[in-house]
Amino acid sequence: MRTEQSISDIILRVAHVMIEELKLEDVTPKTFDPDIDLVDEIGIDSMDLATVALVLQDEYGMRFDEDDYPGLTTIRLIAEYIKDALS
Amino acid sequence: METANNQKNRRNNEDGKWKFSEILADPIVRERWEKVRKFFFLRESTYDMSNHCNIRCEGCYYFEGNKQFTAEIQDPLLWQELMKKEKKRGITYVVLAGAEPSLVPSLLAVCYQEIPLGCIASNGLNKISPLVDYNIHISVWGNDETSLRVRRAKNMLQRQVDNYRNDPRAIFVYTFTRENIDEVFEVAAFLKKNDCRLTFNMFSSPVGYKGGLRHTEESLSRTREAMLTLLAEYPNHVLFSHYNAVAHTHQYGLHVLYDCPYPRMNPSTDIGLGRSFRQYRTDLTWDRNMACCVPDTDCSDCRHYAAGSAVVTAKLFRHAADPETFKAWLDYVDTYLSVWVRGYPKGKNLCNHIMCPPKAETRLKN
Repeated sequence: MRTEQSISDIILRVAHVMIEELKLEDVTPKTFDPDIDLVDEIGIDSMDLATVALVLQDEYGMRFDEDDYPGLTTIRLIAEYIKDALS
Repeated sequence: METANNQKNRRNNEDGKWKFSEILADPIVRERWEKVRKFFFLRESTYDMSNHCNIRCEGCYYFEGNKQFTAEIQDPLLWQELMKKEKKRGITYVVLAGAEPSLVPSLLAVCYQEIPLGCIASNGLNKISPLVDYNIHISVWGNDETSLRVRRAKNMLQRQVDNYRNDPRAIFVYTFTRENIDEVFEVAAFLKKNDCRLTFNMFSSPVGYKGGLRHTEESLSRTREAMLTLLAEYPNHVLFSHYNAVAHTHQYGLHVLYDCPYPRMNPSTDIGLGRSFRQYRTDLTWDRNMACCVPDTDCSDCRHYAAGSAVVTAKLFRHAADPETFKAWLDYVDTYLSVWVRGYPKGKNLCNHIMCPPKAETRLKN
């Protein structure tokens, strides 16, 4: 339960950062589908994803590998990556 | 190549690494970051417009490989249809290139009508209608004597300037070859006198090229010196930065230094250029295995300015390592936008010393 809560918190935070940094409209952290494909459905590109990764690194005190973040194309995948890095 | 300035910038926190927020804490850096990031929406593709040209230059990319033999589609309606499809798949920026786009004005007009951000690569011998409000890159390969020899065109620079003096779309692009390095000074002085803006390109050998224009370590070093001298001498007319000079005159080409993300060198279709970039031929087809901004270039020798504009810019993550490296990258992106985007004003460079491309040292040891 705690683990699940934890990933949910991270998902909400990642969604918040994404909305803030990329100025996404008509979506809130709670309504942001964590499994939606950010590239196909939202139109996010590599520069956007790099920006979000840099901000999240600061927030969580962890590091994304340059080769890994381009493959993290849903909020859930990003959150799981962060969780793994923190554990 | 790392300078004392950079060493001083080293952080001494728990892991010795800079947070992105700390790098952005400098208001000048933050302001430049906000300025350039507004253009992250640009998604480019390139298009060959004609299979004929009014001159024939030694080492021209267009007349290498098979693309020169493809049929030429000159029907504006078919081009308009293509542009509509391109827009639909997310392309926001077009580069209209080979062989000579000024020879097909009706096609330029329909492209501009559908996708209003873009650039035309031209030899500058024909005037392009002011209604096509793209940036125009006018290629210069040396002084008029050299142009006559390599491009078989008389009084080339004077004719180019006559056509594009006082035209805010025009950027003159001086391509450094092994043989024309010293000529850049007279060319730059002439362009400055005529209030024309100038940036630099590097001759990058086509596959199999055996001619005398290919750069050597010595010519790369002399070219860098010339670039930096002119940047200092004409800061308001030369669109360039120290880091541009480093990236384009390094002994290793762009692919080795930055991992070229164009489809030709990048099998991934997940995100970025590997996903969206196409290079259309004159018959409106494209081939993923050939798709990059300078097809038929020998990738190991590629230092082309158009390639760098995408290849270096795409490496934001890698350059957000410390303040000086990030400033160098911001200068590069600011330069790229001022060269390619109509009306984008070049800011003052933030990093006026030599910075080593990040990861380059590790990479070159392996």
